[in-house]
Amino acid sequence: MKDTRKKSRSKAAGSHRVRAVAAVPAVAAVPAVATAVAAPAVVAAAVIPATQPAPATAQRLGRVILGTSCTIQEAEAVRAHLLSQAALPGPYEIDGGSVELVDTAGIQLIVAFALDCLEKGVAYKWTGRSATLEKAIELLGVSPLLEYPA
Amino acid sequence: MTLDLTQFHEIFFEESFEALDSMEAALLKLSAGEVDAELINTIFRVAHSIKGGAATFAFNEVAGFTHVLETLLDQLRAGKRQVRPDIVDVLLRSGDAMRGMLSATQRKDAIDTAGVAKLRAELDRIMGESGTAAAPVAAASPAKTHAAPDAPAPTPGWRIRFVPGPDLLRHGNDPLRILRELSTLGHLKVSVDAGGIPPLTDLDPEVCRLRWNLEVEGEIERSAVHAVFEWAESECELTIERIGGEPSAPAVAAPSESAAPVAAAAAAPEAVPPKAEVAARNANPDGGSIRVSIEKIDELLNSVGELVITQSVLSQLAAPLEGREAGELRSALAQLERHMRALQESVMRVRMLPISFVFNRFPRLVRDLGQRLGKKIELKVTGDTTELDKTVLEKIGDPLVHLVRNSIDHGIEMPDVRLAAGKSEHGTISLHAYHKGGNVIVEVSDDGGGLRKDKILRKALERGLVTNDVELSEERILNLIFAPGFSTADVVSDVSGRGVGMDVVRRNINELGGHIQIFSTEGKGSTIRIRLPLTLAILDGQLARVGKEVYVVPIVSIVETIQVTRERVCAVASGGQVFRLRDDYLPIVRLHALFDIEPDHHDLLDGLLMIVEADGKRVGLFVDELMSQQQVVIKSLETNFKQVTGLAGATMLGDGRVALILDIPGVITRFQAPEERGVAKPQAA
Repeated sequence: MKDTRKKSRSKAAGSHRVRAVAAVPAVAAVPAVATAVAAPAVVAAAVIPATQPAPATAQRLGRVILGTSCTIQEAEAVRAHLLSQAALPGPYEIDGGSVELVDTAGIQLIVAFALDCLEKGVAYKWTGRSATLEKAIELLGVSPLLEYPA
Repeated sequence: MTLDLTQFHEIFFEESFEALDSMEAALLKLSAGEVDAELINTIFRVAHSIKGGAATFAFNEVAGFTHVLETLLDQLRAGKRQVRPDIVDVLLRSGDAMRGMLSATQRKDAIDTAGVAKLRAELDRIMGESGTAAAPVAAASPAKTHAAPDAPAPTPGWRIRFVPGPDLLRHGNDPLRILRELSTLGHLKVSVDAGGIPPLTDLDPEVCRLRWNLEVEGEIERSAVHAVFEWAESECELTIERIGGEPSAPAVAAPSESAAPVAAAAAAPEAVPPKAEVAARNANPDGGSIRVSIEKIDELLNSVGELVITQSVLSQLAAPLEGREAGELRSALAQLERHMRALQESVMRVRMLPISFVFNRFPRLVRDLGQRLGKKIELKVTGDTTELDKTVLEKIGDPLVHLVRNSIDHGIEMPDVRLAAGKSEHGTISLHAYHKGGNVIVEVSDDGGGLRKDKILRKALERGLVTNDVELSEERILNLIFAPGFSTADVVSDVSGRGVGMDVVRRNINELGGHIQIFSTEGKGSTIRIRLPLTLAILDGQLARVGKEVYVVPIVSIVETIQVTRERVCAVASGGQVFRLRDDYLPIVRLHALFDIEPDHHDLLDGLLMIVEADGKRVGLFVDELMSQQQVVIKSLETNFKQVTGLAGATMLGDGRVALILDIPGVITRFQAPEERGVAKPQAA
């Protein structure tokens, strides 16, 4: 079953979509870790539910809101939130503006969500990315995978 | 599923302490004016790895402090700031602070936040100064060096295929951290393969399905790239190859017979499975090791010891047999014995570590203490690859520290005094280790003022350690410094001079079955020579019989063995006896009386007197007869029974009998203080 899905993903997304290339300039310091150190009290709730009532025209719009921490510790909660939003027909908005702490597990979930969108042909757009999230996306080279083709 | 990171704490601490040792060694080389980019890179990598690990485990104080330290190191690495002695000094103290923080965290104690804050302020102050570009370092800095645009050669760097294994994330290894570290080495090109990611419904978020093809450009050592993957290498598929192909002499080639396959693996990574890269590294002396707990090795050694005894029992049983089969049996047993010896030596070698583990602390000690006392001292170390049993190594550290401190404080003179004496203003302390006759010899020498025998003798007379009417040999006078509480220092300092130490040094050495000697020439310097056994697991012993019991006397303690003549024995008022040996009177210790057993002989003339020495004291041990000398496997009495004063352990003889191993200092203590013998009476069966 998994193999079938993998194959269909490759066909649907195209190999150029699952193979992303990025160049990361040499950096002197490591801001992400510094941030983690400076802000040890990570907000427990990984996912902040949308507080604004959805406009009537956007009842079918999914809103993915990433919390301050998006790491392996919160991975199950983030995945559950992503799945709940994916159950809506879309299109989707992803808000990563609050992310202060992120790791590969967190990024991988977002990539999986984005690839699912691509397979289904449902558009998504980013409404915000924090500097930490942006840097992590750049370092892991997944930036091209997280942009829905125009 | 919640990931329990605490299971990795101990490994992190252990590796961090080792890394801090390397950092200190590199800093001391910097201190000596050896400014090179690789040294700074080594120091930076240590700080960087510890910071990453500490952040992973949420040791935030450690991570926070190390981040500041790392920032300064990065400035040095980039050539934005010049290496200066005061910066090296702060860096050394920062290393100490990190060690202290890690130790406290390991013990779950409070961290010295005030001390750390003070040091952090110093780091901030240095970073606040306007930097001075250091051309030599900057020019050589590999991470920042890029090929000239018009250079015909391909861009130097490394091509890396990184495929995380299923447990990588669960074990706290984050590819993001790895890529971030790689990006600090040089310009990083990242190509991700997300083809392995299943739909979100099927995705286990704790398993990394992303894979990377990476290129990191710059004049970067292969070891630096490997270091980034150090924590993850066993949990990923990793291929590292030089961009544009490997040079003819690959960086990982080991100077051993295995060099050829290693070179092949390194030069053509495509031709071998991805694991070959790891295997190639494992063939490298630095990477080819595994951590095994010392308990496991001891169990192995113990089992081998039992086998040696069993083999010895078999040999004894076969000895009286006759006939063709008996001959063949003995021949097979002789072969077994050879193999057993080889096995025993191999297992014992596993416990051996180079003495550099102890010597490595001295460059820092000599530097710091020399600076504090205003002395200019050079440390010379030779033979630091000499190997010793781990237990011996652990116990030799403190005595050596004491001896080196003494050399710095009392031995080496102040620069003006040295110049006035026609010497170089730089004093020299030498640490020298070598093998000799089945022992390891460690010498601590200095070219200082030497021991002043007249002063030692005067102090000894003042303290009543000797009397005026006895003429002492030079050796005996020098040995007075081992007397408890003895000190010739005019001023008591926190370095030395309280007279606490040399007696402890000698006792520690003796407890290891070792021996200490002093050689000194006034005005020219002193040498302390320590002879140590290679291992504490086996012992060269002289078997001595008393009644039906057999005792093992450590050969290292035996001075000589003599037959007693009546005219040399004198009774003393306390009821004991002394024996006149040349110009000395030695107490006679009757082993049978000491251990409450029935001897064959009560009359001194019928037995033998073994003259044994410990802690500078000599006694005559009266035994019935001497048997053979043999190497015995030591079994702990404490583990199997309880500690008994005068006994160092037990062993099993070839005929299956148990022989007790004498602890000569303990025998003397037991003899001198019979009321404190603490004789352990075995429980009745």
